[in-house]
Amino acid sequence: MDGIRFTLNGTEVTYGGNATDRLLDVLRDSYHCTSVKCGCKEGECGACAALIDGVLYNSCCVALGAVSGASVVTMEGFRETERFTALEKAFGEFSAVQCGFCIPGMTLAAEALLSKNPHPTEEEIREGLSGNLCRCTGYNAIVNAVANAAREGDGLW
Amino acid sequence: MVNGYAAASLREALEIRASRDVVPYAGGTDLMIENRKGVRYLFLNKVPELKAVAVDDRYVRIGAAVTFTEALACPDVPRLMKEALSRIAAPAIRNAGTFGGNLGNGSAKADTALIEVAADGKVCLASAEGGRVVDVDKFYLGRKKLDLADNELITEILLPKKGLEQYSYEKVGGREALAISRVSFAGVFAAENGKITNIAAAFGAVADTILRYKDIEAMLLGKTVQEAKGLKADYLNAYAQRMTLTRGRVSAEYRKRVCMNLLNGFLTKFGI
Ligand SMILES: Cc1cc2nc3c(=O)[nH]c(=O)nc-3n(C[C@H](O)[C@H](O)[C@H](O)COP(=O)(O)OP(=O)(O)OC[C@H]3O[C@@H](n4cnc5c(N)ncnc54)[C@H](O)[C@@H]3O)c2cc1C
Ligand code: FES
Ligand code: FES
Repeated sequence: MDGIRFTLNGTEVTYGGNATDRLLDVLRDSYHCTSVKCGCKEGECGACAALIDGVLYNSCCVALGAVSGASVVTMEGFRETERFTALEKAFGEFSAVQCGFCIPGMTLAAEALLSKNPHPTEEEIREGLSGNLCRCTGYNAIVNAVANAAREGDGLW
Repeated sequence: MVNGYAAASLREALEIRASRDVVPYAGGTDLMIENRKGVRYLFLNKVPELKAVAVDDRYVRIGAAVTFTEALACPDVPRLMKEALSRIAAPAIRNAGTFGGNLGNGSAKADTALIEVAADGKVCLASAEGGRVVDVDKFYLGRKKLDLADNELITEILLPKKGLEQYSYEKVGGREALAISRVSFAGVFAAENGKITNIAAAFGAVADTILRYKDIEAMLLGKTVQEAKGLKADYLNAYAQRMTLTRGRVSAEYRKRVCMNLLNGFLTKFGI
């Protein structure tokens, strides 16, 4: 039987396992994308976020069969982009990272938001990140960092 | 693919549904949490016929695999539905969750189903043999029981194009924090020549199915707002008598009080 073909961070891959397997587990265990974190497996925390054809999903709520033919991007791929550099700089400047567990998901949620809305209001940033839980920062530093990345990285999104 | 079928057209999807033991998969946001073992999925997320929003002379027709995010961006989707959609979870869930999945889950907590019941919406079902259209409130047969045959798929949700302009929508207790105790309410009001022509009231998440009592609504149909005011106490009393609510994390009495307050607020909003 044919495997499931998709693009992972720009590389064509073929997954030979079950179509019902969880994207989160496959990304971590088969493709070693360990930036994708498991915080709940219930769709509530956003730590497992991935971009599928540019759209933000929680990979714990996605079965492999659903990504057949799609382009999947995780932090391992996104970190090669200029947009990432702008977000990384802002997160650093605003001390928006503590333990770091939520940060890959936060960053991809910020990317998804900014690619639709390059100049979001504070409220829009909070809404864009509302599916991503953080146990450490209290969110304000992250929200400010995203706002700053949008300002400083003007033109990137 | 192993243990899965990706359908490229509705026809193909219906053939697979008829000939194999498969579980329809749209956005996966309920299925992947349930995490059923030993099943095979029929992937509907790329079936073009299920991904469209269309408008005919009477209805806005929303494809079963249209996601909440897609519907929010679509100018044809009624404002009442959008209000409910915008309060569902967070972007990543709205990007995946679909109308068909929300109904297919059979839950009385399904936010789009509440709107469909209040709006006299319909659900279109199809099998390889043909199609049928069912009122959304009749589609729910009981707790997690749907009028959906093993060879059928939900294809479209129909909402009336007109008549949903005046409404109340309330969702008490966000899912994240208070999933079990929440109550949701949708009311639709319409009047013509000073007479009430619609006063639909639906309650979600408080019983095994979404509650709507058309016979009690009938008390106020054809009445003027003034006349309805006079009947208000009897009308509210009829609801209070009829509603038997399940106990959640909070008591059934508390939930009932919330429901009655929401209903009262709906009437007051339209001058009753
Ligand atoms: C974190 C989180 C928050 C949530 N918040 C809310 C909320 O606020 N409000 C709310 O209403 N829901 C909420 N949900 C539940 C869920 O997102 C919705 O019920 C959603 O609509 C499910 O759609 P789906 O496409 O993901 O369904 P799936 O998981 O793909 O399917 C759900 C069920 O429907 C069946 N099905 C799907 N499509 C069809 C079809 N075309 N024909 C026949 N059967 C079909 C499937 O077989 C399955 O039984 C939440 C879920 C999560 C994980
Ligand atoms: S692990 Fe997927 S949302 Fe928490
Ligand atoms: S930095 Fe620790 S969870 Fe967000």
